[in-house]
Amino acid sequence: MRRSFLIENPSVMWFLAGLGLFTVVVTLMSEVTGVGLISTSFVKTLGKTLCLCLIAIAMDVVWGYCGILSLGHFAFFGIGGYAIGMWLMYARTEIVVLESLSGQAIPPTSQEISDAIGNQIFGVVGSSEFPLIWAFADSLFLQLVMVILIPGLLALVFGWLAFRSRVTGVYLSILTQAMTLALSLYLFQNDSGLRGNNGLSGLQNIPGYEGVSQATISIIFFIASAIALGAGYVFFAWVVSGKMGSVIKGIRDNEARVRFLGYHVESYKLFIFTITAVVSGIAGALYYPQAGIINPGEIAPIASIYLAVWVAIGGRGRLYGAVIGAAFVSLVSSWFTGGGAPNVDLGFYTIQWTDWWLIVLGLSFVAVTLFFPKGIGGLFDYLVRKPS
Amino acid sequence: MLRIFLLALAMCLMTPAMVTAQSLQSLLQTHAEEVLKPGRRTVGVVLDDLVDSGLPQALPFLEAWRDRAIVQRTSDGLFFRAEETGDEVALFDLDSGEAVATVPEDDVTESRPNGGVRRAIGDALVQFQLSDPDIERRRAAVEAIARSMDASQLAPLQASIEGEPDTDLQQIKTRLAGMLGAQFSETTEDRIAAIEALSGDLSVDVRAVLNRILSTDTGVASAVPEDANIAAILIPGVDLTEAEAYDQLVAAELAPPLITAAYIRAELEANIEGAFVGGQPVAKLNTDANREIAYDALADAGIVPPRVTPTQQSEALDAHVFFVSYAEPDTAITDAARSALDAIETRVGFSQAADLGLDALSLASIYFLAAIGLAITFGVMGVINMAHGEFIMMGAYTGFVVQQFVPDYTLSILIALPLAFAITFGAGVAMERLVIRHLYHRPLETLLATFGISIALQQLAKNIFGTQARPLTSPEWLDGAWVLNDVIAISYIRIAIFVLALIFLALILFVLKRTRLGLEVRAVTQNPGMAASMGINPDRINMLTFGFGSGIAGIAGVAIGLYAKVTSEMGADYIVQSFMTVVVGGVGNVWGTLAGASLIGFLQKGIEWLNPSNTLAAQTYMILFIILFIQFRPKGIVALKGRAAAD
Amino acid sequence: MSMLLEVSGVSVTFDGFRAINNLSINFAEAELRAIIGPNGAGKTTFMDIVTGKTKPDEGTVIWGERNISLLGMSESKIATEGIGRKFQKPTVFEAQTVRQNLAMALKNPRSPFDVLMHKKTKHNAERIEAIADNIGLLDNLTRVAGELSHGQKQWLEIGMLLAQEPRLLLVDEPAAGMTVEEREKTTDILKEAAKTRAVVVVEHDMEFVRRLDCKVTVLHEGSVLAEGSLDHVTSNQTVIDVYLGRGHA
Repeated sequence: MRRSFLIENPSVMWFLAGLGLFTVVVTLMSEVTGVGLISTSFVKTLGKTLCLCLIAIAMDVVWGYCGILSLGHFAFFGIGGYAIGMWLMYARTEIVVLESLSGQAIPPTSQEISDAIGNQIFGVVGSSEFPLIWAFADSLFLQLVMVILIPGLLALVFGWLAFRSRVTGVYLSILTQAMTLALSLYLFQNDSGLRGNNGLSGLQNIPGYEGVSQATISIIFFIASAIALGAGYVFFAWVVSGKMGSVIKGIRDNEARVRFLGYHVESYKLFIFTITAVVSGIAGALYYPQAGIINPGEIAPIASIYLAVWVAIGGRGRLYGAVIGAAFVSLVSSWFTGGGAPNVDLGFYTIQWTDWWLIVLGLSFVAVTLFFPKGIGGLFDYLVRKPS
Repeated sequence: MLRIFLLALAMCLMTPAMVTAQSLQSLLQTHAEEVLKPGRRTVGVVLDDLVDSGLPQALPFLEAWRDRAIVQRTSDGLFFRAEETGDEVALFDLDSGEAVATVPEDDVTESRPNGGVRRAIGDALVQFQLSDPDIERRRAAVEAIARSMDASQLAPLQASIEGEPDTDLQQIKTRLAGMLGAQFSETTEDRIAAIEALSGDLSVDVRAVLNRILSTDTGVASAVPEDANIAAILIPGVDLTEAEAYDQLVAAELAPPLITAAYIRAELEANIEGAFVGGQPVAKLNTDANREIAYDALADAGIVPPRVTPTQQSEALDAHVFFVSYAEPDTAITDAARSALDAIETRVGFSQAADLGLDALSLASIYFLAAIGLAITFGVMGVINMAHGEFIMMGAYTGFVVQQFVPDYTLSILIALPLAFAITFGAGVAMERLVIRHLYHRPLETLLATFGISIALQQLAKNIFGTQARPLTSPEWLDGAWVLNDVIAISYIRIAIFVLALIFLALILFVLKRTRLGLEVRAVTQNPGMAASMGINPDRINMLTFGFGSGIAGIAGVAIGLYAKVTSEMGADYIVQSFMTVVVGGVGNVWGTLAGASLIGFLQKGIEWLNPSNTLAAQTYMILFIILFIQFRPKGIVALKGRAAAD
Repeated sequence: MSMLLEVSGVSVTFDGFRAINNLSINFAEAELRAIIGPNGAGKTTFMDIVTGKTKPDEGTVIWGERNISLLGMSESKIATEGIGRKFQKPTVFEAQTVRQNLAMALKNPRSPFDVLMHKKTKHNAERIEAIADNIGLLDNLTRVAGELSHGQKQWLEIGMLLAQEPRLLLVDEPAAGMTVEEREKTTDILKEAAKTRAVVVVEHDMEFVRRLDCKVTVLHEGSVLAEGSLDHVTSNQTVIDVYLGRGHA
C-alpha cells in the first residue's frame, strides 16, 4: 500500500529526494566533516528552518486542505518547545547542582538537591518551589510524551468546544487567536511556573553530552529535523491523498454538503486540528533546542499569523508550497532583519532594511493574496504541467 | 513699690501700639512664683490668665517655657527667654522678642517645669494655636492634631470649636474632635457616643481611628486571661496552622524551639569525627532519616539539644490557648467600634462597587469606541479588518501631530477629532478600493491581506515616529476628577470618553436608521443582490461603510490617546479586545456591540477586582470566559435569528 | 401500509414569522411524490426540518420501522440513517473529480478512522461506475466537477445521492435551469430511483411535475393545502386561488 501511495504521488518522491540531497550536502559542508563551508550557526538556522517547514505543512493541512484558518498553531509549537525545554533545563541544572553540592562535608539529601535545583531555575521569578507542572521534568521519556500529549489534548478540548458549537470561518480564526493570546499572557506571568517572561534558556546544552561540540550537536539536530520533516511530509501527504483528503477538501469547500452526505464534519475537523497540533508540538520540540531559548513572546498571536503568511506565500493546498513558503520567507526575513541585505541609498533617504523589511513583507503579502492566490507553489503548475 | 517700678520699665520697653494693652511681662510678674517654680496644680492659673489675655506674644513664651528656655534675672526678677552661649546666656525680651543683654549663667534662675507641667503648657499651646486669629495657623494646628492624635488635644480642641469663626474649619474641628473623643474621652459613654457618631463617615482616617481602637494582639497562655478583652480564640489547625501556633509558643518561650533540618545539618557538620558523626558514616547521611539517627545520637550524648517530637509539639499546642485580644480593655467600646466599622465598611463596599461600576463603564465606552467601527464593517460587509487597530493608531498620531502645530490643547483636540476621522476615512476608502473589493467572498484571505497592511502600517509608524511613546496632552479642563465621596472618584477624561461614546452611539443609530445612507447600508447588509437590483450601488455603499467604520476608529484613537500613550503598537493592544467585543456582542448590530463592550468592560474590571495584583491573569481569565461564552451563544448576545442568520 | 417518514403537527417560527404551521405529511417506501407550492409556502424549511438543519418548535418527525425520532439528531446522523438531500443550487465539490465526488458519497463507513484507512477496492469502483453510467457521466469520471455543465452537475449531485443509497431522497428543484432533453433524462433518473426508495421532489415547474406522473402535495403558508394526483389538485378551487392570486398558472 505504501508503495502504491508513493508511486501515485510522485511529488512526495521528488520532495524526499530533494530533502535527502540537501541534508547530505549540508552535513558534508558543515564544520563536523572539517570542510566548514557552512558555519555551525548557519546549520542551526537551517535546522530551525526545517522545523518551521514542518509546522508550515501542518498549517497547510489544517488551513489549505481543511479550511480552518487556525491562528493558534504556533502556540502548540511553543508548548512542544516548553515541554522539551523543561527536561533540558532540569537535567542540566541537576548536573550543575550536584557538582556544586558534592564539595560539602555531608552528602546532600534528595530534598536538598531538588531545593537547590528549584532555587537555580526559579530564582529569577522569586521562587524556589517546583510547580506541579514540573512533576515529570526529571524524565526525558515523560517529557517527550508531554510534547505530544499536551498540544494534542489542548487542541482536542479547544477544538471540541469550538467545532461542536459550529464556530467557523473568521470567528474560528479569532477564537484561536484569543486562545493563543490567553496562553501567552498566562505564560508571561511569573507565577505560571514557567519562569514568566524569562522563559527557559540554555536549551542548546544537551545534558549528558557536555563533551560534544556544538558543531556536532547542531548537525545531529539538523538531521533529526530533516527526518522529522520527511516523515511529516509523507504522513500528511498520505492523509490528504485518498478519501480523507476528499472529505476534508469537501469540508473546506462546502461544509454543509459534506454533512448531508452523512459525514460527521466536527469529528473530521477535530481529527485534523489535533494531529496537526501534535505535529506542531513535535516541530517545536526540535526547534527550541536549536534556538537555545524559549519565552512567551514566541507564542504571541503574531507568530501564528506569520505562519499563515508563509503558507499563503508558498501556496496553500499543496504541501511543498508550505515548505517553500516557510523556508523562503523565514530565510529572507532573517537575511533582511539580520542586516544581511545592503542598505539602499536613494540620495535623499537611505532605506535601511531592518526598518523597511516588515513594510515590504506586509505589502508583498497583500500582493500575493490579491494577484497570486496560489502562491509560489502555483508557479510549479506552469512549469510541471502545461496549462490546459 | 517694685511693681510700680516694673510697670514703668515695661512701659518703657513697650512699643507704642501696645501702650494700652497689658504686657506679658507684667502678667507674668503677677504670677512670678508660679512661673519660676510651676507645679501641676498651680500652673493652671497662669495658663488661664495667659489664654484670657489674648496676647499674641504669649504663644512664643509658652513654647519657650515648655522647652525650658525661660529664666528669671536674679537682679530685677524679670523673666526672659534665654539662649545659652557657652557660660553666658543671651536674654531676649518676652514682649518685643529683642535681645536685651548677655549675662553670666549665675545671674539668672531657670524655670524648670516638670513633665506634667509641660504637658499642661502644651495643651495651652494647642488652645492658643486653635484660637489664633490667623486662619492659616488655626488650620495648621488642626492638621497637626490630625497627624498625631493625642488624648491631651481633645479638651483644647473641643474648647475651640464654639469660638471658631470659619464654618468650614469648625466642621473639620468638630469631626476631628469626634475622632479624638472616640479614642480619648474620659467616660465609656462619651466614647461610645463619639464612636457611634463616626459611623456615617467613609473617610480613610475615620476607618483608621476605628481600626486603632480595635487594634489587637495575638497571645498565647495556658488559660484564657480573665482581664483581657478577647476578640477571638484561635484553634491550631483551623484558624492558624499548627506550625504557626508552635512558632508562637516558641516566641513566648512556652516551648522549646524546633530542631530544623538546616540546624541538624549544621550540627552534624560541626561534629564530624573522622568519617563518622554520632556513630553514622558521613557518606550515608544523604537521607533525612539517617541524619536524624546521627543527630539523636549526638543529642543522647548531650552535645546538642534533643529534637522536639511531633507528640511533644501537639502536647504543647493542646496545653495552651491561642487568642486574639483587643488592646482596649472595655468590651462595650470595642463592640461599638466593631459595629461602627462594619457599618462603614458595608457602605464603603457599596461605594467601591459603584466606583468599580463607573470604572467598568468608562472601559466599556473605550471598547465600544474601538469596536464599533469594526462591528460596522464586519456586520455590513462580512469583512474582518485586521488593520482596524492601526486605524486607531493613525487617529492617535493625527492628534499628536496636530498638537505639534496647535499649542492650544482644547483647540488642537477640536481640530484633531474631525481630522482623524477624515484621514482614517480616506485610508479606509483607499484600502477598500485597492484590496478588500477584490477579496469579497474570500473572508479568510481578507483577514490575512488586512493583516499584511496592519504590519506594514505599524512598521511605517515606527519608522516615522520612533519606538518611544508620544504624549497626547488633554486640555486642562479635562484634568482632575469628579469626586463623589471618599471612595468614588472618576477622572474627567473618562467621563469625556463616555460622553463621546454616547454621542457616537447616537450618531451611528441616527445614520443607520434615519438617513438614506443608513437605509441603503441596511439594504445591502440584508440582501446585496436585491439592493443592487433596486438601484443601490453596493460598491459605493461598501466603500462608504468601510470609510465610516475606519473614520470612527480614528476618532477612537484620539480618545484613547488622551488617556494612554501613543505608540505604534497601541492598535495591536486593542484589536483582540475589539474582536471579542464584536463576537460577544453579535455581528451586525449596534446594540450588540454595546452589549459586548459592556460585558467585556465589566468583566475585565470585575476580574481585576477579584485578583487586583495581576492584570495579566485577569486578561487570561477574561479570554477563557469569552471562549466559553461563545460555546453557549455562538452568535453573540444579540443574535440575528431565522434564515438571515443561516449563512 | 407502514410509513417511512411521518411528519406530524410540526411548526416553526422565525422572528415571529410562522414558516411551518402544524404541518403533517407522510411518505411510504418506494413512492415518488412531488411537493408544489408558491414561494414562502415552507417547502425548503420542511426539508431543513427533516434533514436536521432546522429544529422545529413543536411536532414530531418519526422515521423508519423502528419509529425513531429525527428531532435532535445531527445532520450527518440523519444522512447515515438513509435520508439524502439535493439542494436547489447544484452543490458538488468543484475542485474534485467526478469519481472523487461519487466516492465520497458512496455508502461506506463514515468515521474519520475508517476514511483514513479506506482502500480503493474493485467493488467500490464498480459501484461508482454503475452510478456514473446511470447518470450519464461514465465518460467524465476523471474530469474535475467544476468543469461540468450545469445539467451535468445536477446529475452528479443526484448520482451522489444515489451513491449514498438512501431510503428517502429529498430533491429540491432538480430541473431548474435545464434544457428540455436534460429534463427528460432527469425525470427518467428520478422515476428509476423511486422504484426502490421514496423520492420527494420539490418543484415549481408544473410541466416537470406532470411528467413525473405521481402523487402531488400542495403546500401553502406552512401547511398542506391539498393532496392527490396532479389533475385532482389543479382542479381544487383553493389551489387555483392561491396560485392565481400570486400570478402563477
